[in-house]
Amino acid sequence: MTNIRSNDHVLSSAQFRRLSDEQCQKLYWACLEILERTGVRLYDQEALDLFKRAGVPAADGNRVRVPAWMVEKAFTTVPKRVTLCDRHGNRVMPVEGHRSFFGPGSDCLNIVGHRTGERRKAVLQDVVEAMIVADALPHIDFVMCMFLPVDVAQPVADRYQMEAMLNHTTKPIIFVTTEFSGCVDAVQMAEAVVGGPQALQRNPMVACYINVTTGLRHNQEALQKLLYLADKGLPVIYIPSSQGGVTAPVTTAGALAVSQAGALVGLVLSQLKQEGAPFIMPGWGGNMLDMRTMVQPYADPDKRVMAADFVHFLGLPMFALAGCSDSKVVDQQAGIEAALTLMTDALCGGNIVHDLGYLESGLSGSLAQLVICDEILGWLEPFVRGVEINDETLGLDLIDKVGPDGQFLDSKHTREHFRERWYPSLFERYDYATWLDKGGKTLGQRAAERVDAILAEHKPEPLPEDAARAVHAIVERAEAQYG
Amino acid sequence: MSEILQEIAQQLYAGKFNEVSALTQQALDQSLAPAQILKGGLIAGMDTVGRDFKAGELYVPEVLVAAKAMHAGMDVLRPLLVGEDMPTTGRFLIGTVQGDLHDIGKNLVAMMLEGAGFEVFDLGINAAPGAFVEAIKDKEPQLVGMSALLTTTRDAMKVTIEAIAQAGLRDRIKIMVGGAPVTAKFAEEIGADGYAPDAGAAVDKARELINA
Repeated sequence: MTNIRSNDHVLSSAQFRRLSDEQCQKLYWACLEILERTGVRLYDQEALDLFKRAGVPAADGNRVRVPAWMVEKAFTTVPKRVTLCDRHGNRVMPVEGHRSFFGPGSDCLNIVGHRTGERRKAVLQDVVEAMIVADALPHIDFVMCMFLPVDVAQPVADRYQMEAMLNHTTKPIIFVTTEFSGCVDAVQMAEAVVGGPQALQRNPMVACYINVTTGLRHNQEALQKLLYLADKGLPVIYIPSSQGGVTAPVTTAGALAVSQAGALVGLVLSQLKQEGAPFIMPGWGGNMLDMRTMVQPYADPDKRVMAADFVHFLGLPMFALAGCSDSKVVDQQAGIEAALTLMTDALCGGNIVHDLGYLESGLSGSLAQLVICDEILGWLEPFVRGVEINDETLGLDLIDKVGPDGQFLDSKHTREHFRERWYPSLFERYDYATWLDKGGKTLGQRAAERVDAILAEHKPEPLPEDAARAVHAIVERAEAQYG
Repeated sequence: MSEILQEIAQQLYAGKFNEVSALTQQALDQSLAPAQILKGGLIAGMDTVGRDFKAGELYVPEVLVAAKAMHAGMDVLRPLLVGEDMPTTGRFLIGTVQGDLHDIGKNLVAMMLEGAGFEVFDLGINAAPGAFVEAIKDKEPQLVGMSALLTTTRDAMKVTIEAIAQAGLRDRIKIMVGGAPVTAKFAEEIGADGYAPDAGAAVDKARELINA
């Protein structure tokens, strides 16, 4: 028998988008129009000089109106994919297309303790524990520091965070610093670990997440970091913070256009500084200010996926946001918001998805919540994965053999395939009596126990002694100078 | 007679600044006293705005446009209001402290207090302790408000209070503070007299402090 079957699709993953190509095109033209018509203020002389040399001098001191051709030209040289590596240079995160990678966020001021649920100011030990947990969790691909420790000299807290991340995980690191000097130190620390600037540039273990004041106002530290990292050929994540109703229109399209226009300015500058410098776009946008509570929510639905669809349309890698909640505690709202946001980003293919484990709209972090996010990802992976519909999975011969009167429990087919179905490791599906017998625990309780188990058992691979010393020397140097 | 004042208040609540301007002039043409129009129309309207804002029924953008309507009415009345007819719930000096450039919250408080009948003097943003001291000497407010948005700038509030004390002015005024990184505990620690979590509550606190 010939086995010819044309136009066949054996395997196709979940397909999801909200915006059509035409809508993305409209948004893109809106961004270009904003840049040409309204322009941006750049609070850094080097950035202004780069534009001036390219033929676009600033007006009114530091206001630059960026012509569309400069944006188009930047697209011709910027890499369309970026690969982040682990401490050993393994190329573990190919950031491309619709591939999604997940990790926590940075700099929560508070921690919601997993043992008692108490909310308190975060300390350095919380950062260390967060790294141990993130290093252990199977669905966490990269780390961010999670907490802003209050028990170290604040001007150099970012150096301490970087040191904790480098020491307690081998996974790729996305770091955040307050000032430009912190960014320089962070890069030097990473170079000390991997063996120098060329090694880091070839197999980047780190990327820097830069927040920009708004789409149309670019603060000096943001620009300094951008240009420094572009020069070094290291991946840059450049995210304007436009807040709908305050620093951008309250409507999702307008808010997104403002923040993406700002990101495109960052893209242009990175390529003006160094053609081919890796650049990562914002994979979220259209934020709002809640006009009742004066809080910027993290899990609001209206804007979700818009930015990801848009950046896919542009063909660039992106930094996305999910697994977060506006709830103050690890409750049903926290679970639901984490699941909903993770699902939307998994479906639309957000690339580097951060802020897992966030509560209180980014002001508190929770290791129990991070563990729950890991389980949600476990659920999402088989959901998003394509279903194979073929002779083996249909099993028509087997169905006929078993017939109406038989059963499948002891068949070879069942034995061969039953482990392909997903099994939870934190959610549970016991019958009532067994569940009660095992303590009758809630998800929250089991998540807290999981955190304790990880902290007791998991030992991340430590840094070699000389690397750890070199890293610490940079922390001490910074503290002496700025602390 | 009070019908037109009621209408002014209603239009103000709805943020209809052109209507408020026209109705204010109409009320004057009907021979109502400017101070009466101010109290029964404009301030009455802002009172309802403040009440509903505090109750969570009116949101910030709606408060802002109502304040705009208030100003439109005030612009018509101001030339006619003589010294003692000016709103004297009290005199209130406000500024964003040194090093801080944020002003949306400060502006909201200023508007709300104006709506409550205070005479408001605004130092603007990045106001040095010396600027507060000079303004206190110059404008003689009963109440001083300080605003900050950043954890890194709120300490300037303490410095400003110390400067006021050093200038021998502390006993003449009450000080209230606010802003995202400010808490009641922080306010107490730095020696302020009061704290309010938002502009709506600020009106109540201001009234409380001025009557104390």
